[in-house]
Amino acid sequence: MTATSEGTARETQTEAAAREMEARPKQKVERTEERTRPSATFQPLVDIHETPEELVVVADMPGVGPDGVEIEVEGNHLTIEGHVRPQDYEGLKPVHVEYVIGDYYRRFTLGDAIDREAIKAEMRDGVLTLHLPKSTQARVRRIPVS
Amino acid sequence: MTFGYYSFESLQRELERMLAAAFGAPTGVASITGVYPAVDVFDAGEQYVVTAELPGVRKDDVEIEVEDDTLTLRGERKVPPLDEKAAWHRRERPSGRFRRVVRLARLDSESAAAEFKDGVLTVRLPKAKEIRPRKVEIQVG
Repeated sequence: MTATSEGTARETQTEAAAREMEARPKQKVERTEERTRPSATFQPLVDIHETPEELVVVADMPGVGPDGVEIEVEGNHLTIEGHVRPQDYEGLKPVHVEYVIGDYYRRFTLGDAIDREAIKAEMRDGVLTLHLPKSTQARVRRIPVS
Repeated sequence: MTFGYYSFESLQRELERMLAAAFGAPTGVASITGVYPAVDVFDAGEQYVVTAELPGVRKDDVEIEVEDDTLTLRGERKVPPLDEKAAWHRRERPSGRFRRVVRLARLDSESAAAEFKDGVLTVRLPKAKEIRPRKVEIQVG
C-alpha cells in the first residue's frame, strides 16, 4: 500500500524495514595465549575519528563495567579488553538465543605520533572511549602571521 | 550457589549451540544479522528474562512496552556527529532507530521490571500465574 486516500505517499513495509538498524553478528576472536578466564571472546565494534589534537577510539562493550576494562600499551600496540560478569546470568536457562555473551578483545597498532603517557579512558553504559593525544610534534601548529 | 569457572563456559556453549541450531550460524559468528537489537530470552522459572545489548543508549532513548504475550522495545541509538575539524577513520558502530517485538507466553504485565546497566537492557517478565511452574506436594497417606 503506497498511497492513502488523500494521495500522500506512505512508506511501504519494505522501505521502513530497510531503514531500520541491523544487528551485526559478533565476530569471535581466537585467543592464543594462556588466559586465566576461559570465556569465549568477541571483537568489539569501534568508531575511530581524528581531530587536530587526538585520535579517539570508541568501542562497544556492552555488559562491561569500569572495573572490567583492561587497557595495555606495549610498544606499538594498544590492546583493549572487556570482561563481562558471569554472575549476571546465574540460574538463567536460555530458551531463545540471538547473540552469545562473552568478553571483548581488540588490538590496534599505534603510529609513532601518539603520546602514550597521556592516553585517557572512560567507560560508560558499555561504551569505552579512549582519547589518544597526538605527541606535540605531530600536532598541526598554527603559525600566527603578524 | 556460586557461578564457578565451568558454569559460565557451559552457558556460553549452550548459547552458541542454540544460536547455531536456530539460525544455522557458522562457528565464530555469535549473533544473527537482521533486526536490532539482538535479544536473548531466558527462563527463570517464575519469569522470563529478556536481555538486549544496547551500548551507549540512554535510558530516555528507549521505550519498553509489555502487553499480553509481547514485549516491545523501541528507541534510538545516537552517535554524535563530528565537528568540522574532525574526520572519521573507521565507522563500525550502528546508529539509528530500532523497534523489536518479542513474543513470549502469557505474561503478568503488571509486574514487569526493567534494568539498564552497562549498556545491557534486562527485562524481567513474570509469567501469568496459570503458566508458572507449580510445586506439587506429595501427599503421604
